[in-house]
Amino acid sequence: MTEAVQLSLGSGWLAAVDAARSVIAGPSWAGWILWLPLISLVLCGVCAALKIHTKLPAWITVGSLAISFVVIVALYMSYRQPMEIPLLDWFNLNWRSNDGQAGSFVAGFAFYVDKLTLLWMLFVTGLGTLIALYASEYMEPDVKRGYARFFAGISVFLFAMSCLVLADNLVMLYLGWEGVGFASYWLIGYYYTRPSAVAAAKKAFIVNRIGDLGLALGIWLIYYNFGTVEYANAQGTGLFQILASGSYKHEAGGWSIQAIPFLLMLGAFGKSAQIPLYVWLPDAMEGPTPVSALIHAATMVTAGVYLLARMLPVMELHPAALPTVAWIGGLTALLAATIGMAQYDIKRIWAYSTVSQLGFMFVGVGVLTTYGAAFHVFTHAFFKAVLFLTGGAVMHGFAGQLDIRKISGLRHMPGWQITAWTMLVGCLCLAGFPLSSGFFSKDEILAQVFAVHRPWLGFMLLFTALLTAYYTFRVWFRVCAGPVSYEMGEEHHGHGDDHHHGKADTGHKAPPRHAPPAHVAHQPHPPRFAINFVLVVITVGAIISTFSGSWVMDKVSHSSAAVLHAADSHEHHPGWVPWLAGTIAVAGIVVAWHFHLASRKSADALRARLLANPLTRWLPTAMENKWYVDEFYEWMIVTPLWIFAHALYLFDRYVIDLLFVDGVARLPKWMGRSFQPLQNGVLQSYAVLMAGGVGLAILLVVVLMPHLRPWLIGFFGGGG
Amino acid sequence: MADRLPMVDKLWFILPEVALFLGVVVIFIMGLSHSKRVRDMLPMITCLSLAVAFGLTWWVYEGSRGQTLLSVNPNLMLMPMVGKYVKMSACAIGIILAMVSVGSVDRRLEAAVAAGHLPFDPIRANRGEFYAFFLLSLMGVMLTCNANDLIWLFLALELTSLPTYIMVAISRPPRVAQEAAVKYFFLGAMATAIFLYGFALLYGSTGTMILTEMQRAFAAQAKADVVNSFGIIGMILAMLGICFKIAAAPMHFYAADVYEGAAAPVTAFLAFVPKTAGMVAIILLLTTLGWSGHPSTGLPEPIMTTLWMIAVLTMTLGNLGALLQRSVKRILAYSSIAHSGYMLIGVIAGPANNGINAVLFYLLVYGIMNTAAFAVLAALERRGQEIETMEDLAGLRIKHPGMAVVMAIASGSLLGVPPLLGFFAKLYLFIAGIQAGQIVLVVIAGLNTAISAWYYLGLVTLPIMAKPSAQSETIVRSPFPWPRIAGIVTAVAVVVLPLFLGPLIRASQAATTPASLTTGVTISK
Amino acid sequence: MLAVDLNAYIPVGILVLMAIIFVIVNLAATHVLGPKRHGAEKDIAYESGMNPIGTARKRFNVRFYILAMTFLVFDVEIIFLYPWAVTFTKLAPQSDEATLFLGRIMFFIATSILAYIYAWRKGVFRWD
Repeated sequence: MTEAVQLSLGSGWLAAVDAARSVIAGPSWAGWILWLPLISLVLCGVCAALKIHTKLPAWITVGSLAISFVVIVALYMSYRQPMEIPLLDWFNLNWRSNDGQAGSFVAGFAFYVDKLTLLWMLFVTGLGTLIALYASEYMEPDVKRGYARFFAGISVFLFAMSCLVLADNLVMLYLGWEGVGFASYWLIGYYYTRPSAVAAAKKAFIVNRIGDLGLALGIWLIYYNFGTVEYANAQGTGLFQILASGSYKHEAGGWSIQAIPFLLMLGAFGKSAQIPLYVWLPDAMEGPTPVSALIHAATMVTAGVYLLARMLPVMELHPAALPTVAWIGGLTALLAATIGMAQYDIKRIWAYSTVSQLGFMFVGVGVLTTYGAAFHVFTHAFFKAVLFLTGGAVMHGFAGQLDIRKISGLRHMPGWQITAWTMLVGCLCLAGFPLSSGFFSKDEILAQVFAVHRPWLGFMLLFTALLTAYYTFRVWFRVCAGPVSYEMGEEHHGHGDDHHHGKADTGHKAPPRHAPPAHVAHQPHPPRFAINFVLVVITVGAIISTFSGSWVMDKVSHSSAAVLHAADSHEHHPGWVPWLAGTIAVAGIVVAWHFHLASRKSADALRARLLANPLTRWLPTAMENKWYVDEFYEWMIVTPLWIFAHALYLFDRYVIDLLFVDGVARLPKWMGRSFQPLQNGVLQSYAVLMAGGVGLAILLVVVLMPHLRPWLIGFFGGGG
Repeated sequence: MADRLPMVDKLWFILPEVALFLGVVVIFIMGLSHSKRVRDMLPMITCLSLAVAFGLTWWVYEGSRGQTLLSVNPNLMLMPMVGKYVKMSACAIGIILAMVSVGSVDRRLEAAVAAGHLPFDPIRANRGEFYAFFLLSLMGVMLTCNANDLIWLFLALELTSLPTYIMVAISRPPRVAQEAAVKYFFLGAMATAIFLYGFALLYGSTGTMILTEMQRAFAAQAKADVVNSFGIIGMILAMLGICFKIAAAPMHFYAADVYEGAAAPVTAFLAFVPKTAGMVAIILLLTTLGWSGHPSTGLPEPIMTTLWMIAVLTMTLGNLGALLQRSVKRILAYSSIAHSGYMLIGVIAGPANNGINAVLFYLLVYGIMNTAAFAVLAALERRGQEIETMEDLAGLRIKHPGMAVVMAIASGSLLGVPPLLGFFAKLYLFIAGIQAGQIVLVVIAGLNTAISAWYYLGLVTLPIMAKPSAQSETIVRSPFPWPRIAGIVTAVAVVVLPLFLGPLIRASQAATTPASLTTGVTISK
Repeated sequence: MLAVDLNAYIPVGILVLMAIIFVIVNLAATHVLGPKRHGAEKDIAYESGMNPIGTARKRFNVRFYILAMTFLVFDVEIIFLYPWAVTFTKLAPQSDEATLFLGRIMFFIATSILAYIYAWRKGVFRWD
């Protein structure tokens, strides 16, 4: 793969940015990728305004997204080399300052298309279309209420995500970045009558703002140091071109340049839910399931990975940046997997597994296998979409029931075969079962971790893989296998609506013990055509993505994310890693099979017998080894992990939420209150304060200035 | 040049103001007419004269006569082209503000007269005076841009402010308006005294009233290395006094009370018109110092320090003050204070870093988005009373979906949510600040933006997401459609104008040409 | 370097000082030199015939004020007209400067006439 790469930057961590060097003008019809979702948004708005209570908004959205997918495919077919497609003149400022230096700030509304862009756009628009189709059936109960609002949100998301991925400069990327955050806020809060959904939407927005601040500062510092925010341009003064030319000296910028990778990282961690900003993603499952599948699993949360992959040359401005990314990714993967084990809500388990898998992707970026990271993003997008959509089908059919203890034997129920078997494929991929897509993509990252000699990180990830396989199949064995039994959820459609929003909280809580109210459906209704069709198509996609490794590698290695590093070639990958990873995956599945399918009843029966006869407790261990494993598991693994998970959960709730989120919010309020007495409405005191302020200012400038000068010079950032 | 009278040449550039003055004359007389039809035409005539002034401004500056005059006499004005941009934006926003104010003045009196309870008595009618003062105040803003003389500048600033005192008083019947007006007047008079004192010191230290000559005098002093420190103190006093007009610390205390006391259309007016005049005046005064003091921002250090402190205090006190408010008008009043603080970043950054155009651009954007927010308040009412608190806005979407969306867009833009107009204006300011090396200042502004998210998001979510409260159930549309139309127009502008960012920013850049605002001589201390 | 030539401000200082001294000297002189007689008639506020009976916060018809203000407008106008008239004769006829002067005063008079019309229409002169 490295022969395609011609340039290097020097020593240490290396990235090649050859792709950016020669940019040709692309076809202007590519602009329709952006305009179509926008048109769809407007039409959905019109539908809402005209109170059209049909599925029209869904068909508009699905249609326009499908066309924009076709446009992407056409662009892909006609792709020869990196393209620049100007759409609108946005910022185009030139000036000459008083010392005669020319300056400019150029950020057009333009696309920069290389193979990385195409890779991302293909699955974003492809999955977007399919999931919108799925949602057309899933959101059916809302046809009279928020149907148009939902699809308008999806259109906004696709518009913003396309902006983010296709942008040819960081300002437009930031526009998309904020746009997807806004769409996420819009859609998480879709069931706005439910306080928990509103709170989750707010939390997602606020936590993301922290990351966004980092990204914004990073972009400013890039502009400050390099004088451009464009990736590449015809004059050769784009960011990648400056970096590739080697004319730039690392030392020149000082801290303002060294901080850039860390600030970008903060932005990526916010959007992609990594430590310490992961807390919003599990709560984001308050949104409708198609939203969870599309935005919070497959596409938007990978924006952080995209950012770091795209900015790989920039990430090397500080040598510690990429190792930090790798370690934080690894720790997040482990942490999220341990929490995921303690959950009973299917969507929450998938949410934590998403956080965990995103951690894997960041490890991939961090150990410089952008190929592995992108490959995992690609395979994950499919199998996680499958998992969420099957979860959504269950929720839809079982009146909001998502508790894995309340549903069993789905595959034996009539009409649920497709759901059960597609979920199995998804689970196999997530668990990294040998020869599944997840196996290959995860292996690419794991092998690279060992290849760059980070064994501790590697073993931590292998352990995480074990946990992943276990909790993934815990869900499947509980829900899809075993004897048929189920308990309906308490909501008719698993979400609040205007008629009974009082108890509309089943989205992630265990339903109450008492019998469901009379008006609630007692029979599950299996998914119909749209859901089944989408499930099958995406599952096929997940299977096909298994063989996409070399295709993805081609995409990545011909973009700014290409890595020129000896350890990236396959010869250096330790051969034992795939074997070990495969074994671990199988082991995890076996453990899950054992405790959640094979012996979940006999365990109960034998425990009953044990309780009945106190003497059995004293029987030799060899006889009861089998049961001790259960007990051992219960007391030695689950409880500590449960406690650990709950400790982390409590940490999340009380330390992170209360101290950081609430505390940060309270500080300004408290300060505001302390200034309030000044604002007492009395004319005289205002006059005195004003005069005092003027006097103080004069005093400060005339009397104190000479003494404060040295301090002030430092404070004003090198002026004076 | 001696045989040419600058005054005669300058008369050409105040043609738009003359047009407005003619409008004022007509409105003054028409407002006293006994015919209701004639009285109802007043807002239309206001808009018409503003539209004429808008066109005239373009013609005056772009026409060959204006170009010739400017090239023949470069000392005509300190910043000749700033007038075109500011006057045109003042006229454009003035039209919208006039639309917002339709029906608010003399509402009860007109209703009583229409119902036949009262005969029409000119001595009780205030509508004509209101619109006349409206135009006079806008005239003040426009004249400020052409000022090349401290006396002219002083008179223009006072022409901007004096009518607003009366507008506050007559804007609505309750006593609060009168209390607000009295406060506003007395504190305004005090602020005027302060900047007048500053002007006196400026004259004393440079020996001239003419701004272009003052620039040369400062440059000469700097060259000889004998800058008169009374000049610097005078400059600081002048700035602090003018801070009253832009509602910046420490002269901001009046803002919350006065904004709350006045009727919503007048509050919208107060937040834009005096602010624009004050900003232009500060920029003109600082330009006399030559913009070549501080290596990156161009200001002498004492001035820079003062501005820096004013900016930080203004944005912080503004945002913290807004956090605790329940009254929408008070929140917007504090937000107006905070926005002045943001704008001062651009002033500190100076023309070399595009700071001045960023301020001018921000003024226009702020005018648009702020007017949108106030238009919502003006368009809704409860039993003839204005709506006041946040609770009144809750769940507005049910009954007044359009106004709910306008409010959400306006607040989102005030917060600076991309891709709305306010975001780009703020971005442009912050970029200027960063370019000037004012990282700390920009970080403080960023933190302030984060704080402001607390209350702006409330204004976004309450109308759109919250359930209607008992209070908001009783809210009805005001009987006049124009405030609603103004709100929709401005909200659409907030959403659509980002697509025309290039031309808008180029226009604001053209306002600060020629770039030779700098004298190239450094006032070091 | 900042240069403040404080010597230039000595005349100002002297003027301020003189103003203060003038006030003090006058007050002191009246106090010392003035004859002091007390008596029932002497101690009332206005000894010139007006009897201070009732509250001082008496309400007058607002028209007095309005009329007074209108009078003031024209009164001040005359004050401006005089120096103008004196200066105007000294200007070269037909010059730009003279035209400007004439234009200015015409504008000024026009505003006064406008004010008059406004006051009239507003009903200031209606005395019923």
